[in-house]
Amino acid sequence: MRLFGSCCMAAVAALSLSSAVIFAQDARPAAPQHPTNGPPKPTGTTPRTPDGHPDLTGVWNGRGDSLTGVPNQLRNSGVIVDDEYSAHDIATGTKIAAFPRPVGSTFGTVATAGNEGERAATLLRRVGSNRPIYKPEYWDEVRRLDDNANEEDPSNRCMPAGVPRGSIPQFIQQTPGYFVFIYPGQGGLIATQTMYRMIPADGRQHTPLQKLDGSFTGEGIAHWEGDTLVVDTWGFHTNTWFDQVGGYFHSENMHTIERFHRDGNTLTWTVTVDDPDVLLQPWTSTPRVAVLNRDPKAMLPEGLPCYERDLELTVTKEHH
Amino acid sequence: MMSTKTWTLHISALAVVSMFLCWSVAARAQGTADPTNQLRVLRAAATALGQIRMSDIGMTNPPLPLVDVVTTMEVSGKGTVVIDGKPTNATYTAAFAYIPAAMRVEIKGEGGGNAVHTIQTVREEYAWNESEKGAGLIPGKGTATPAMASAKSRLLQLWILPYGVVKAAIAAGDKTTISTTQGSTVITFPLRGALAGITVTATLDAKNFITKVVTKPDNPAATDLVYEAEYSDYADHGEILTDVKSPGHIVEKLAGKPLLDVRTTKVDANNPYLVFPVPPNVKAAPAQAGSSR
Repeated sequence: MRLFGSCCMAAVAALSLSSAVIFAQDARPAAPQHPTNGPPKPTGTTPRTPDGHPDLTGVWNGRGDSLTGVPNQLRNSGVIVDDEYSAHDIATGTKIAAFPRPVGSTFGTVATAGNEGERAATLLRRVGSNRPIYKPEYWDEVRRLDDNANEEDPSNRCMPAGVPRGSIPQFIQQTPGYFVFIYPGQGGLIATQTMYRMIPADGRQHTPLQKLDGSFTGEGIAHWEGDTLVVDTWGFHTNTWFDQVGGYFHSENMHTIERFHRDGNTLTWTVTVDDPDVLLQPWTSTPRVAVLNRDPKAMLPEGLPCYERDLELTVTKEHH
Repeated sequence: MMSTKTWTLHISALAVVSMFLCWSVAARAQGTADPTNQLRVLRAAATALGQIRMSDIGMTNPPLPLVDVVTTMEVSGKGTVVIDGKPTNATYTAAFAYIPAAMRVEIKGEGGGNAVHTIQTVREEYAWNESEKGAGLIPGKGTATPAMASAKSRLLQLWILPYGVVKAAIAAGDKTTISTTQGSTVITFPLRGALAGITVTATLDAKNFITKVVTKPDNPAATDLVYEAEYSDYADHGEILTDVKSPGHIVEKLAGKPLLDVRTTKVDANNPYLVFPVPPNVKAAPAQAGSSR
């Protein structure tokens, strides 16, 4: 009986051990912690001005989503990496497959053509599904512009990025009657000039569109909707695209509504673009989040000099 | 001496061990849902296609994983396309997207001396035919004719493309099994959502490229869901190089009969601007239940 008991115990132990081995083999390898490009979590309190509105004043060039301080352009295209095995499209919630990266691998420089350089960048900046819907007669034109961005992108010609492509300004000065936004230029990948906007918030109405000369930044007028600053802008010319990639051209009748919402040390920005001349319906961007530079002595760096590319030397369509 | 009860316990224990061993052997022969092996095989297939890439562009800390970067693509080819049962020399262009699932197939050819031009589009549960790209979205600009009964069959063409196979096999989770047949790795998985009830079997070659895909609906009467596709001559066919590999030769059969045999002439794999808005009259059209016909 004792022998049988021992046999039984051995069988059960063997069975348990086999199962344990099987399950151990089936288990996914442990994932490193925090492999995500999710937006920064707000910390601290939101300061307010004497009139009770959130105070947006500050240097917003912490790790954030401005045109020049982009921490992760995959998120800018509307995709968030959740963990080593999963990502998702922000606009639809659709899951996107992910796999742990190879040990020791590094992403190439953006100037490196190759598997994990510029070619991957071309794809990564266009993964998200949140795309403006143009009228069908413009579908081929958008593709042509994007495919030929090396030659066609206005930002390759030292022009200001314009509104709303500039997205979140790196500096905001808030007064009771107006705002000043500054967008430092950069001489790198997107060769833009420094751009500034002076935006009244005194209750005035827009100048009739017919009386405005089109400009890069248009005529912006701000007002508060609760704790959200709304900047309503029209009066553009057509020398800009309205998002960072994609060939998204617009007409002189483009009308943008930007929304800025401060939560502690973060500033969330979205824009709705309405352009009935070329778009089938208004388009709203994926939210972008900038982080306040906590250094009380923070200054804006000097914008890098812009150098125009010699487009005649362009030999490939590989692009950003 | 052992009692009857003791013998019964002994035999029961042996039976459990035997059943367990039998299950292990059977699982290996028929294909397993071993997540480690599944992950390895799907990763290899996705890597061969250039479908998964490091995602930390513009951000180096913390390092991010590889993500599936194929959202939209357009593949054009020339060859034979069967239209109304007749093989026709034609140009074939498939524009497709995975978020949301959508596909627009445009065929231009000469059939019996007559010019043939069809545009068949699907987006999720909606299917329609377009007189021109984007027809029906703006009043007076083209005609969009609802074709809801074809939605499943059209949608299935999206998921039997190599990129669709990888995405759907990953999405199927532990229902995806890996096996080996005649030395080739085979991935088997059920589709979900509107295509639930269809099993896909994909075969990989030695370089982990998907070379053959077969679909099998649970309902044998749904012959419009029985596809067989063969892919070969993989390369980066894009004018804008992306390192995403596409088949240079595509052969498809529907219900065992030839459907198309085309050689790739152009691929835009750089997530080009391709959109598939559903025309209002298609949205208003009643869904058709039952078979996909």
